[in-house]
Amino acid sequence: MPHSDNKSTALAIRFEVLYLLNLLLLPGIAFLILAWFYLKYKNHSSSLVRSHLQQTFFTSLIGGALIVLVIALLFVFGGFSSSYIWMWIILYFTLAHSTLVVFGALGLAKAMSSQSWRYPIIGLPLPKDN
Amino acid sequence: MKYTSQMVAKPYFIAAIALFVGQILFGVIMGMQYVVGDFLFPEIPFNVARMVHTNLLIVWLLFGFMGAAYYMVPDEAETELHSPLLAKVMFWIFLAAGVVTILGYLLVPYATLAEITMNDLLPTMGREFLEQPTIIKIGIVVVALAFLFNIGMTILKGRKTVINLVLMIGLVGLAVFFLFAFYNPDNIVLDKMFWWFVVHLWVEGVWELILGSLLAYVLIKTTGVDREVIEKWLYVIIAMALITGLIGTGHHFFWIGTPGYWQWWGSIFSALEPIPFFMMTIFAFNMVNKRRRQHPNKAAVLWALGCSVMAFLGAGVWGFMHTLSFVNYYTHGSQITAAHGHMAFYGAYVMIVLAIISYAMPMLNGRKAANSMKAQIVEMWSFWLMTISMVFITLFLTAAGILQVYLQRMNGDASLPFMVVQDKIEIFYWMREGAGIIFLIGLIVYIASFFVGRDQPEAEMPK
Repeated sequence: MPHSDNKSTALAIRFEVLYLLNLLLLPGIAFLILAWFYLKYKNHSSSLVRSHLQQTFFTSLIGGALIVLVIALLFVFGGFSSSYIWMWIILYFTLAHSTLVVFGALGLAKAMSSQSWRYPIIGLPLPKDN
Repeated sequence: MKYTSQMVAKPYFIAAIALFVGQILFGVIMGMQYVVGDFLFPEIPFNVARMVHTNLLIVWLLFGFMGAAYYMVPDEAETELHSPLLAKVMFWIFLAAGVVTILGYLLVPYATLAEITMNDLLPTMGREFLEQPTIIKIGIVVVALAFLFNIGMTILKGRKTVINLVLMIGLVGLAVFFLFAFYNPDNIVLDKMFWWFVVHLWVEGVWELILGSLLAYVLIKTTGVDREVIEKWLYVIIAMALITGLIGTGHHFFWIGTPGYWQWWGSIFSALEPIPFFMMTIFAFNMVNKRRRQHPNKAAVLWALGCSVMAFLGAGVWGFMHTLSFVNYYTHGSQITAAHGHMAFYGAYVMIVLAIISYAMPMLNGRKAANSMKAQIVEMWSFWLMTISMVFITLFLTAAGILQVYLQRMNGDASLPFMVVQDKIEIFYWMREGAGIIFLIGLIVYIASFFVGRDQPEAEMPK
């Protein structure tokens, strides 16, 4: 477990909450705030802060792209009037979105425990000092 | 195990698992009847199989809750159970009532069962999930009262903890709301409305309190995190469960003839119902991350963590999917509801009962804290087999449900009749049946875990 203080933990929690808000309540707006934090804190001295910031920011980007691109491709190649396309889109969105939310919940639990966390599958490798 | 009276939990757990097997067998039979309509007909008609499947679910979960309470309450209250004898007597009465009811469903036509149990004196039969003969319902009330008396007296004479009190409130609520099963008004709107007072206020109300307290207990025991921290989480979770779940009952009132304002109340409050489940996920993982000790019973921790995630997905996400009234207008009573029901019951209630059984059974079998590593590995295999197959059951039913809604309800004049649509989505029923058989295999592996590695030493506390 990396060394951390209360302020670092609070920042890590804030990033994870913004990640979840982007998925659940304030899509786009919460991501913009997270991006602003990324620019501000990406070189922060605490590895805990850097890891949660990097993970939430890039997972939001990659996860968002995966949701939007796959659904766009399904519409482009399948059209809007096929029942099977709608089935795949709803299933894919529900699975992908809820998986990202569960990952966020686990990330938040890690942040609350002052522990670093790498999002499974699509999370970038953690910085070397973690 | 600190108190010998905790041993009364063991027969409850064994009965729960035996009835669980029955429930899954009838689920597999019914899954086959979806695609081979006359499978086992006329011996086991679909409507009877369905009744047995759902009734067994409720009964075995109640056995699980009672066993859990008999194990947990003395430990929390730091005193022996008020009356182990009463608990044992009630066990046999409840088991006999359950077995007689299931045999009645299977061996006697339902109308005859109603007649010979004198349902006409106090008509309560014939409603989904509450099909039990009136006399059996009265028996359930007697068992519940004796159980609550026993547990209540134990709590009164011992230490009062938040976990015990939350459990007690949940169990009292369970008993009180069951009383609405006896209210059977002629007006079908009122009938359906009060029917939901049993069904919804159980699973989306007071049962969540039982779930929360059992989860908190297992986490305290396996992580060693301060009780105060866990209790604060529990307070907030149960508050959110009640705030959202009570008025959230309104999502069942959309189309039964109640006033239109229920569409707003039901939509808004039930859209908030995922919150307590989401908090449970964060709670469980946070406690495990902050653990002060490594517990040798890894299987119990796995069930507890899995429960929090699967409850959030099944009850939270899949519930939200069709809870807004303008969505539910199309999806009501489709296979999407079945998908939600399967994953929610498994995630929230099956897994928490299996978590507490996993935690308690080694001690009830004379172990110090955990089974042998070999037994735990087999048990963890069963966890993954059952959990993954339940995910697939849910996905296949969801796919079937989306197609069903689209083809049957959203196609305007081109909408297809019910049975034509059922033919078109048959492939998903086959795949669901396959996943159901894997689930059954997982359950067999789970039962096998009680018999393997018994001669081996128990797993050691990790360094």
